[in-house]
Amino acid sequence: MILSLVKADFLKIKRKGMWLLCLIGPFGVVALQMVNYGVRKDYLFDQMDDRWLYYILNINTFTPLAIVLGIVILTSFMASIEDETNAWKQLVALPVSKRAVYLSKFTVVSCIVFLSSVLLFLFMLGYGLTLGLGADIPYLRIIEYSFLPFFAALPVLGLQLWVASVSKNQAIPVTLGAVGVILAYSAPLLPDWVIWKWPALSNDWDHSYINALLGIGFGLVLYVLGMIDFKRRDVK
Amino acid sequence: MEYIVETKHLTKSFGKEKAVSNLEMKIPKGEIYGFLGPNGAGKTTTIRMLLGLMRPTSGSVQLFGKDMKNNRIEILKNVGSLVENPSYYPHLTAKENLEASRKILNVPKKRIDEVLQQVRLHGVANKKVKGYSLGMKQRLGIAAAMLHQPELLILDEPTNGLDPSGIIEMRQLIQSLPKEYGMTVLISSHLLSEIDQMATRVGVVSKGKMIFQDSIETMRKFAQASIQVKVNDNEAAWRSLLANGQKADLGEESVTLQAEDDEQVAASIRYLVQQGFSIYRVQEEKRSLENIFLEMTKEEQAG
Repeated sequence: MILSLVKADFLKIKRKGMWLLCLIGPFGVVALQMVNYGVRKDYLFDQMDDRWLYYILNINTFTPLAIVLGIVILTSFMASIEDETNAWKQLVALPVSKRAVYLSKFTVVSCIVFLSSVLLFLFMLGYGLTLGLGADIPYLRIIEYSFLPFFAALPVLGLQLWVASVSKNQAIPVTLGAVGVILAYSAPLLPDWVIWKWPALSNDWDHSYINALLGIGFGLVLYVLGMIDFKRRDVK
Repeated sequence: MEYIVETKHLTKSFGKEKAVSNLEMKIPKGEIYGFLGPNGAGKTTTIRMLLGLMRPTSGSVQLFGKDMKNNRIEILKNVGSLVENPSYYPHLTAKENLEASRKILNVPKKRIDEVLQQVRLHGVANKKVKGYSLGMKQRLGIAAAMLHQPELLILDEPTNGLDPSGIIEMRQLIQSLPKEYGMTVLISSHLLSEIDQMATRVGVVSKGKMIFQDSIETMRKFAQASIQVKVNDNEAAWRSLLANGQKADLGEESVTLQAEDDEQVAASIRYLVQQGFSIYRVQEEKRSLENIFLEMTKEEQAG
């Protein structure tokens, strides 16, 4: 049942520009560094001995922003496709459980954001190679900074999807999302428990995997809470 | 009797207001059930509860003899529905819209062409639904409801937005369903004339309460003719009829006889003539179903 729902959801996002968004996100993040390194490459090379690490950290200043913004747009899009003609009622009147409907939406958004992470990995590695940052390519670190922000952002995904799918007015999740993007941007100023800080992969323990694990754990909690609330509500 | 739909003490409140109260709906197999009521009487709320979209505040819904609460998915496999305004994905074509439901219902692909043919949308199947007229969207909704050949079809105001020829087509389609596929159909409407032409059973709801539920023939029996008599002095004629022990009502311009057969009418007229009244007109007036419907819902509102 869940597989056919996911397939149907992928059909519904056709022609909505969501795949384009999936491409633009990671491309934009790397493109900003193209400008940065294009203008002042020599200066940036002098900043740190490990040129690869410095490059990756530069990329990572914008990844959390892009990921949070992407999640806000995608979740709100997913909900608005059903909201537009109140297709929720038609969808829920089909022989499917409401839990599966919610899980399917969550899966589709996760898939798109995950694909963005794959693209980010490719773009980051590709542009890095053209810069001549050194022969010793830190693959593991590139993987870390491509995929861990995605897992660390799962609580944001859970929260945004919850608010988007139960709000009649998409202005509510978008407003919340805008606040989230600002918080993600001010990550260094925030305490570790703020979920919008997690995609930046910085914490007091200096282990980025902690953010990813926290993200998966707390993301799961928010997902379950959202699903229970979605199931409990009457469909108008 | 085998009931496809049976609700018991079905109640739904929004805050303090009861949208549906103690509703007992019974739909036997193979019937076309007309669900009638003025706007805001609770028809759509009831239908939403039948489909499990809303949870009843109290009472139960049984479809195919199974309780909705515990068998929702199993029940919905055999139910097709169109609730209120048609829902669709405007950026997709009619085919893609149906495909989105087909994937979930798991029926063969050829059903899409079949239902599009049935609602006569096959010519525009590859156009985006965005550009459809309201009537076309409505037909697409009906096509989606019939995709999996359900045993029970629930249509909420299905002729909304259709042009006259579309309404006739839709009526013929709906009437053919019980005969050809053994379907049971529930149609809601606020127009009695529409239900009158299609339904075999009627349920009338007003202010959330079922005020009438029986076959359409029984409802038509209420439509007995009455005899109106116009005389030179209506009030005096009415009084003398009553004094003589004959039932009559005083209208604004005439006296209405509550006669059960022709002989009684003759007797009343003869009596009036003997009393010296000038009789201008004696005419028969049939009460239309429309009037009965209005009276039923009015009584409910007054009470």
